[in-house]
Amino acid sequence: MHTHGQDRPKPYVEVRDDYARQHRSPAVELRLDGPGGRTLWPLLTVTQGALILACLPLVEAPPEPRPPLPSLASVSQGLALLSGLQDFLCGPGGKPEPDVLASRLAALPSVLLQVCPLGRPLDTPPPAGSVPAAVAPSPGGAQKQPAWKAGVHRGRAVVSVALTEKVRSMQYGKSSQQDIWDVYGMVMCKCEVEGVLPNVTVTLTLPPNGSPLQDILVHPCVTSLDASILTACSVDENDCSAFSGPYKFPFSPPLELFRLCSYTSQVPMPPILGSYQLKAEENHLKANVVLKLHESVKNSFEYCEAHIPFFNQNLMGSVEVKVSSGQLEVSKEKSLLVWVLGQKFPKSHEAALEGTVHFSGTVAGPTDPLCTGLTAYIKLYFRVADFTLSGCCVDQHSVQVYSSAKPRIVTTRELVSSEYYIWNSTGDAPVSSGAVTASH
Amino acid sequence: MTITDLWDQKISAFQLSPSQFLATTTSESFLAELLHELRNDKANDHLKILLVSVLLDHPTILCPSSSVGEETALELLSVFSHTPQKSIILKCNVMLAITNVIICTSCLANHTKMAEDWLDLLFQMIQDTNDYRCGLSQQPIRATACDCLREMETCSPGLLSQKLEALYLLKQQETTVLHQSYCMLYTLGLKNAIRILTTQKDVTDLEFKSILGGNEGFAWKSNQLGLTLLPINMMVQVPRLPPGLDCKELKSIMSSLLEESYLQTPISQSALLRELVEVVAMVPGLSPTLFKSQLLRLFGTADVSLMHATLFMKDTFTDSLFTAEDENFLLKRLVGTAQHPLLRIPEKLFYMECILHFPENRPISSSGEESLPVLVTPRLAASLHPTVFNDSATMLCRLNLLCLVHLEADEGEADKGIRYLFEHIMALLKIIDNDGSREVVVTSFRALFIFLMHFNGMENLSEKVIDKLCDMYSRHSRLAPNLIGLANRIQEHLDDPVWSVKLLIGLQKCIMEMPPLQLTIHNLSWHLKVLKRVAQEGQITQRNTIYLLLNILINSNLCERGNWQVGNAVLAVCRNLLEHPSIDQVFIELADLLQYISVHYDDTDIKDHARFYYTLLTNLSWEKLAGVLVKGLDGGRAKERSHSAIMAENEGIASNLTVHKTNRHVLQLIKVQEEASQRSSGSSELLETTGEAKNWLEVYQGQFHTPGFGSDVNLRYNLTHAKDTDPLFDKVFTICLHFELKDSNYAKVNDIHVPCVFRDRKPPEVKVKLKPFQPYPTTLCVSAVFTTQDGRSWHSQLPDVSVSFPEIFLPLPLPPNTSCECKEQVFDRIWEAAASENPDKSAISLFCFKTGDESLADLIKAHFQGYLITDQQSKILWKVLFFLPPMCHVLLKITQAEDAIQVSIATDNWELLPFVNSYLQNITDHCSTTVTDD
Repeated sequence: MHTHGQDRPKPYVEVRDDYARQHRSPAVELRLDGPGGRTLWPLLTVTQGALILACLPLVEAPPEPRPPLPSLASVSQGLALLSGLQDFLCGPGGKPEPDVLASRLAALPSVLLQVCPLGRPLDTPPPAGSVPAAVAPSPGGAQKQPAWKAGVHRGRAVVSVALTEKVRSMQYGKSSQQDIWDVYGMVMCKCEVEGVLPNVTVTLTLPPNGSPLQDILVHPCVTSLDASILTACSVDENDCSAFSGPYKFPFSPPLELFRLCSYTSQVPMPPILGSYQLKAEENHLKANVVLKLHESVKNSFEYCEAHIPFFNQNLMGSVEVKVSSGQLEVSKEKSLLVWVLGQKFPKSHEAALEGTVHFSGTVAGPTDPLCTGLTAYIKLYFRVADFTLSGCCVDQHSVQVYSSAKPRIVTTRELVSSEYYIWNSTGDAPVSSGAVTASH
Repeated sequence: MTITDLWDQKISAFQLSPSQFLATTTSESFLAELLHELRNDKANDHLKILLVSVLLDHPTILCPSSSVGEETALELLSVFSHTPQKSIILKCNVMLAITNVIICTSCLANHTKMAEDWLDLLFQMIQDTNDYRCGLSQQPIRATACDCLREMETCSPGLLSQKLEALYLLKQQETTVLHQSYCMLYTLGLKNAIRILTTQKDVTDLEFKSILGGNEGFAWKSNQLGLTLLPINMMVQVPRLPPGLDCKELKSIMSSLLEESYLQTPISQSALLRELVEVVAMVPGLSPTLFKSQLLRLFGTADVSLMHATLFMKDTFTDSLFTAEDENFLLKRLVGTAQHPLLRIPEKLFYMECILHFPENRPISSSGEESLPVLVTPRLAASLHPTVFNDSATMLCRLNLLCLVHLEADEGEADKGIRYLFEHIMALLKIIDNDGSREVVVTSFRALFIFLMHFNGMENLSEKVIDKLCDMYSRHSRLAPNLIGLANRIQEHLDDPVWSVKLLIGLQKCIMEMPPLQLTIHNLSWHLKVLKRVAQEGQITQRNTIYLLLNILINSNLCERGNWQVGNAVLAVCRNLLEHPSIDQVFIELADLLQYISVHYDDTDIKDHARFYYTLLTNLSWEKLAGVLVKGLDGGRAKERSHSAIMAENEGIASNLTVHKTNRHVLQLIKVQEEASQRSSGSSELLETTGEAKNWLEVYQGQFHTPGFGSDVNLRYNLTHAKDTDPLFDKVFTICLHFELKDSNYAKVNDIHVPCVFRDRKPPEVKVKLKPFQPYPTTLCVSAVFTTQDGRSWHSQLPDVSVSFPEIFLPLPLPPNTSCECKEQVFDRIWEAAASENPDKSAISLFCFKTGDESLADLIKAHFQGYLITDQQSKILWKVLFFLPPMCHVLLKITQAEDAIQVSIATDNWELLPFVNSYLQNITDHCSTTVTDD
């Protein structure tokens, strides 16, 4: 909700800023100039960078009183179409080069005509850069070709299954505010297998006593699901007796890379436990950071960095900081300390940073509305290959492919940090979840 | 610049604003150009696709009538058949355009021949299942044909209702990716056929069966029912077939459709499921449990349209398909997905809306309003608590949901939850302290609004909010308009205005207590805005406000500086104070204040106003005062005679009070019928007529070097009263007529002033001088400002004045005494030039007709008298010339042939030809006509 940057205050304009108008729906209303002041509704929008994608779903209902959005079939189709368009234009990275974007925009009319002729969505556009390698037209036998698969794969059979788990955390270092963390994972698949409707089964397994995977969402190509797989839900009471695998996902793969399933998981401890103490002394700040790697986590990082930003201060002057492990760098902009912990924590599984930072410059550094006074944070960035926090894994031998040629099977897994914050325990930190207050 | 670039520019200009684009040309000529280029063999496919896109986007603008639509569709069909096989994408585009034009111009609804032929052709195309005949490369054409048929069936429900067996067989045979298209087409046809059957009183087994076995023609009659087929969830009562029909066959069809639904793309699958749900809802013999096999797959889906379709099933079938356990499970899934880290924000917002409109098996109310399902407890919704890290829409959406949750919750639990929400609001307000950007402020105030709407009754909380807001205001007076906006909205939306009043009292107090240093000129304008709003509240005492104002004026240099804006803002507060019900308690103080301003403020206007207020205050009773100050309602006739603008600060009041508006026509312009011979193009005295063997054309053209020569068309009108006007308007004075053009083909028309119009006198004549840039027909919007006898001023719209094509005709602009020989020479030269296509916009055309009762001579006398070039005596050939400013000519040679009369047409601007044609058609329309183009 808060925007960084130098936004100059603009005056209050009632038409636009009316507090009684609820801006909490995926559909907005567009007021048109001209006689009668008519409005367009429901306008669905997706924003990515400077790009705003919008569509106006058909309202098959009397216009007054305005029907609730969930009663209109076209709304979810519009949302799906917009998501597809976003993937088509921006690709997986989300930030295409201007010339790439321009060429994709040029192709847009013909793509839209194909997936949405006469304004009726039939499909989502193919995601950018997802052209499958070797595709032949369907053989045209008795078996019906799925509409989501333009042809059949020809060539070597390869099945790759990549499991990525992300961990988020907010750590406060206070007894009054409970630390929180959560884990979510997704399984991306790319199956180059012959046949019109080849059968593939991917099985996710948990270690003994692993906590069940929750909120499982599956790709529409999954043919059937066992009811027990869906029972665990993060909004429920944690039930340790719940089904904990193996999780079987039988499906018939599309040609392109796709997300087979996603899940959330509750793990007993965050992978890295941190404490951050920042104190103001005369004209400098005194910082003390301790990071502790949990013993169950594989101590072999692809990278691990702690970023320590300073907001609403002048630029940094002299920095007298020592670290027990890794190296410390001062960013070019003189407003951020980067502690590069490298590939390994020391044997003690603990690393510390201590020292003072002076702000001698007269040039003001970056501002942030949240981080005033001693409200400050450290953000961690790390990635561990061949490891998951939930313990979830896809065994190479558990991938079953029912096809004539025996495929090569590649499976990988990794743990990546995402929004991993450690707040200064001597300052006020913003509360990030009501779950803490409401449920415990 | 290539032709493609030119078209690119033209089409983007059109797409940007069709009305603006068509102001410089006509839809007819633009359409003609488009079709012409589409027939051009040299134009590439890419360009043609671009051209077709215009017809796809704006069919009704280019084809305003059914007949134009039919002609256009025919043209497109010929383009389609002449397009080579390999231009697949172009062909698909043309097919969609034909379908679009046929549907949008009502050719389909009116059952025209073209629509019928097109349907037949489409149906023929889809017969080629599995690309047996045309090959794989033609597959997209077949897919498009299915899409076109589906669209036609949607717009004309029942069209395919007698072809279901044929469609079913096609669907069964097709095994390529197009299977989906056939499947959707069949399912829609099936659903519509059943829907139409439900409107029938008694349905026999035979009739029911005949739907599935239909293999006949298209059912044109069905759309005469005038059915608008809303989805069943939009209907008060679901239409149903009578029970007891034999559904065995239908059931097996439904099962196979469901089984194969997996082969469809998620979006199409969701559409298919919805159609099938509607079928089951309409046929009592089918059980909703048919869907049971699909449910588990759907429950787990990550796709938003499939999840939505599942909720539609839930809404339609409730406990006949979903057990209480299913319901609980589904709701939990929804709550989970509404905050799933891997889903996109718009989807999560949509899921939250779905929670608030969750179709419960046992709903407590079914008003369609937002309501919280009984099963959503604080524990379940805990993960949806708003946080400062959310984007604004998510945050507001979660806050609203959680407010509802805690409003419903048991006491102990609710207290905790409300406290959390309150802390969240406080955290937001704290952010404003550090970041005053508009988005942050507006979002935080919206959150505050939502919170207060639910919990304003909790006094300790709502008072803490007021304290916080006042505290913020003391530091950030720029928040004044936001705070006023919030007070206004809360007052409007809550029955009890007490919160807003308390906030305003707090703000007033806050301003009173400010150290003088903080009352800088900049901040003062905010404070005055707040005080002005405070003065509107009858419940708030105003003594302190007046003291403060007086104090500031006396103890600062404001009066000496004499800033008009500040003075005006102070007076705006005073104006509201004058209306305050407890004015008698502060009468003396207010009088002192006004008097002080009127004496000391160094700005004459402010002084005058202050003195005026002082006079009003000291001479009128409060009731009268309030009456005087009451604002005239915007628009509509003010009830009583209002006073001049009292305060400039009040937007719109000045204009409202001085000029009244009437929505009815008071005056109108009536064309004066005149003889063509009377028309002249103004002065042409400059032409020397002495020379003899001159090149008359050069002389003629030379005249145009004189600026403004022959550029005006003068039209004469009588200004009369419109019918049935109020007697008030019987005599109107000092009328000012103002003209607005609807297009940019003409120069701006000057205002015309008329001294008076009396109902019982001869109407005055006004001359409207038009200066065309392009001599096309046009329409003028006319408005008038005038005064009635009682001295009030009025503004009123006149009926639009349309200027037809022949009204722009002028005779050849040569002096009246020019001999026939030189006129004829000019005529012949222009004709020759046009015939040899110089200038390049020239064109030649032919128009034929047979005379009826009227002789040709009569016709010529009636219409061409003033424009004749040749000797009147000649009875074999007539030459007629219409001059159209700024410099266009339409030349006619009229000859009496054996069986018809031929009119040869030449013009130096071919864009005029459609108008010439329709003009000739118009004047000869009781004769039989044929048109030939050269």
